[in-house]
Amino acid sequence: MREDDDIQLHQIAKALRHAAPVSASFDARVMRNIRALPRHSRYGVWSRLTTPRTITVTPLSWALLAASLVLFATVGSVRASVDLHRLSRPFANVLFRQRAAAKPEQRVQFVLVAPDAKKVSVVGDFNGWDASHKSFQARHRGGGVWSVTAPVPVGNHRYSFVVDDSLWVADPTAPRVADNDYGMPNSAMVVEAQK
Amino acid sequence: MSVARRVVALMLFASPAFGQDVHLQARLDKPTMVAVNALVDSARIAKLPTAPLVDKALEGAAKGSDGLKIIAAVKQLSIRMQSAKRVLGSGATSDEIKAGAGAIDVGVSVRDIARLRAASGKRAVTMPLSVLSDLIGQAVPISTATDLVVQLARSGVKDPELVLFQRNVRGDIGRGADPTVAATTRARGLVLRTGGAGTKPSE
Repeated sequence: MREDDDIQLHQIAKALRHAAPVSASFDARVMRNIRALPRHSRYGVWSRLTTPRTITVTPLSWALLAASLVLFATVGSVRASVDLHRLSRPFANVLFRQRAAAKPEQRVQFVLVAPDAKKVSVVGDFNGWDASHKSFQARHRGGGVWSVTAPVPVGNHRYSFVVDDSLWVADPTAPRVADNDYGMPNSAMVVEAQK
Repeated sequence: MSVARRVVALMLFASPAFGQDVHLQARLDKPTMVAVNALVDSARIAKLPTAPLVDKALEGAAKGSDGLKIIAAVKQLSIRMQSAKRVLGSGATSDEIKAGAGAIDVGVSVRDIARLRAASGKRAVTMPLSVLSDLIGQAVPISTATDLVVQLARSGVKDPELVLFQRNVRGDIGRGADPTVAATTRARGLVLRTGGAGTKPSE
């Protein structure tokens, strides 16, 4: 019985090993049908970009990338480098800030009589209220008269004199505007465009 | 979040330039600077001009005000600019919003700003609002100043003439004239000279 089974299995295996006859045009027909099928989406450009894939990176590359990030984050969080601020400012202005439209400027003369003053400067919304701004340092002209002529954008402005880096003095020749926020009145002026 | 996104986010937020003004960094203490920067960022998102807010903070720092006072001043200015933008419309320029906030600060009502906006037609209201604030600063009563400037705007008076009007009124007041009389007389003369279609300013 077992011997009969073995013979039968042998015959089946022999029959299966024998190559089935295939017509000559079979391959061509199969390939034609495959090519006629729609292309799978994974072959598109977007799919190529978004499909996850394994990238091999050397340990040295990882170390360099990590070191760069740590350095950048440290420098950023410390924010101590004035040079870095100055360098990054134009880029920050372009990327993050509403750029003020450039306004035409007029040269304006500021005059204050302060006989006892050692230093007089002009601060206002045109120079960031910066008493150390180089263009707005008044010079003593004699007789207690201090003056400076500096470019100021066309428009309405608020300003004041700062005497000896501590005393705020409104311009006696200009209208005053109340300062409801900080309690020190400013002077007001209108700079007109050149005709 | 992918590695690439994390890297970009870290680089942006770690940058000293991100969303901060270098002048503020140099002039304000850290807590005040953080608060002011938050207000400036909120204003930017609300499409309000941010330069006046920075300027207000710098003014406070220059005047030696404490941080809380500076933050309050910046916040109040931001609220005034929001009100001005609402009444002037979404197409208002930064200068118009700033001038509108200034007018609100000296006591002009939002309703009167709307009147001035309507009277000016399609012209910018920066100068009329600035002149209005200046008149009030020169002790012209708010209602009188508002009526005069609205009339001037309705008469089609142009910006250079408004500047001249402002200068003349200042000069008159400086020479001892009553502010209301000076403003009313000068406005009447300007309307007559312009030959505007609006009603003449009242006595």
